Amino acid sequence: MNSNQFEHENAHRWQRLEKVIEAVETRQPDEDIERLPTLFRQICHDLSVAQHRLYDSVIIERLNRLAISGYRTLERRITGGWEHFARLIAVDFPQTVREEKKLFWFNSLIFWLPFLFMAIWTPFDPEWAMRLLGPEGMVQMESMYGNHTSPHDYMREEFGSNFMMFAFYIYNNVGIDLRTFAGGLLGGLGSFIIVLFNGAHLGAATGYIHHACSPQTFYSFVAGHSAPELLGVVVAGMAGMRLGLSLIRPGLHDRRTALILGGRRALLLILGACAMTSFAAVIEGFWSANPMEPWIKYTVGALIWTLTIAYLGFCGRRARAA
Amino acid sequence: MSLTTSIWRMQRTSFYLGIVKTVQRFMIRLSSSKMTPALTDTLQPVELAEGVEIQLRVAGPGVRSLAWTLDLAIAIACYIALAIIMGLLGFFGMENVWQGVFLLFMFFFNWFYNVFFEMTARGATPGQRHCGIKVVSLSGGPVRLPQSLIRNLLRVIDFMPAAYLFGFLCTLCNRRFQRLGDLVADTVVVYADPKFDLTQRVHVNADPCPPPMPLSRAEQAAVLQFLERAPSWSVERRIEMADLLSPLTGATGPEGLYRLCAIALWLRQSGQPGKTSSP
Repeated sequence: MNSNQFEHENAHRWQRLEKVIEAVETRQPDEDIERLPTLFRQICHDLSVAQHRLYDSVIIERLNRLAISGYRTLERRITGGWEHFARLIAVDFPQTVREEKKLFWFNSLIFWLPFLFMAIWTPFDPEWAMRLLGPEGMVQMESMYGNHTSPHDYMREEFGSNFMMFAFYIYNNVGIDLRTFAGGLLGGLGSFIIVLFNGAHLGAATGYIHHACSPQTFYSFVAGHSAPELLGVVVAGMAGMRLGLSLIRPGLHDRRTALILGGRRALLLILGACAMTSFAAVIEGFWSANPMEPWIKYTVGALIWTLTIAYLGFCGRRARAA
Repeated sequence: MSLTTSIWRMQRTSFYLGIVKTVQRFMIRLSSSKMTPALTDTLQPVELAEGVEIQLRVAGPGVRSLAWTLDLAIAIACYIALAIIMGLLGFFGMENVWQGVFLLFMFFFNWFYNVFFEMTARGATPGQRHCGIKVVSLSGGPVRLPQSLIRNLLRVIDFMPAAYLFGFLCTLCNRRFQRLGDLVADTVVVYADPKFDLTQRVHVNADPCPPPMPLSRAEQAAVLQFLERAPSWSVERRIEMADLLSPLTGATGPEGLYRLCAIALWLRQSGQPGKTSSP
């Protein structure tokens, strides 16, 4: 049998599959739609035969294309939707954070050590913090948390400024999270540097406020959103280092497979980190600058810290046992 | 020159990626000088669960940069348009709100432009669609949301240190032209609807004649492909290609071309004498 005979005898089947695929893509009803898997299997068989017998490349190419689009049509499925998303938030993400315990503690260490060092050291010797913040940063600190001013007076009086600040926090902070994740691909080094620098910078800001501004104003401003924001930085670092570790120490898999598997876990972590940072942005944008009694803000802050730690520490534990 | 080598040289007809392939082959030779030259081709076989092998036609850095440039142009146009609109709206007050909208737009556009378009049924951004390429999973199936997120979030690393240098180098180091993000996400960029217009068949005036020596399957395939592709070349090019096979045909020039066609016709008819031409 030569390729023309082969084409002549089987072309009706191929046309049928072409019709079904087009029907699926344009969402038209088609009577043959139930036969899609059968037709697809037949095409696969025809393709193998054609390849083996070295038939004309026109025929092989046509069958190849049909097999690819048939496979795509069969494989297209709607992923879980909301149910899947809810499980991701309630179970999968906090579970992954707990499973990557070592990474969590390591990232906490490289974030909090420079933070505490700068925060404690700066009031005695503000030179380093001033370098780190730069003149603009210092002016901003003083206008927001100065002795005779408040975050509410600074940039928050006009209509819509809350929304603007919220958008800025999303753009800036979540953007940094995403970069921390991507930096992990450089063997974890990029993430390491970003987390370390983040810790030092925030520590310097805190220390500088003790040195030159009003700590009460500052702490009552940051109390509400500090938990999800700071833990979000740590989790973003975890995501990046998960990726970097898969590259450096692939373990039982080959490096390529390890990267693919590590990438999936890292994606889960970074999505969680982004959700936490976005939540922080909502609080920071719309609530933190409100003029309220400091004790209310401290109470809310303590509550959110407890909730965040409980979420990461306990949420979804039962689902894991099940 | 061995027969395999000469056939192999004849096979390479993908001019467009010539430079890239030269670099690749050079690197392959560097890595193992004793190895026979690996066949670098833009056709990548993938085995499906059904036991059949499909061929994905992977897209190289050239066409991908073109698609990226188009997308960049679209992005710049969008930004300019939005900035003008927001500026005009700002005259009517609520300047802060518009600024916030602009920032949010920038955030989502920068990070998720590609994800959004890769999740549509076509699996391609406007730029990629224009260039006829799209993103698929390495298995040949459609790209999924997690994969798309990974490959596009890691884009910043591929871009480093400037102008996608890391990504470019990475595409040269593997056979599927995957950049770093593609490697982690397990995706590949392919030609969406490969143009393979070989419908024009011409009458070949030659009497089928068996090859003087048994040919392997790969060699048979190469000779058959010569017969299919030859009509699209000039006569000089056909003879030039046929000359490479003089070890097989034992002749050069028009005579070699004639003998090669005769062998190809014989192979096409599965070794049966009789019909002298293809329809």
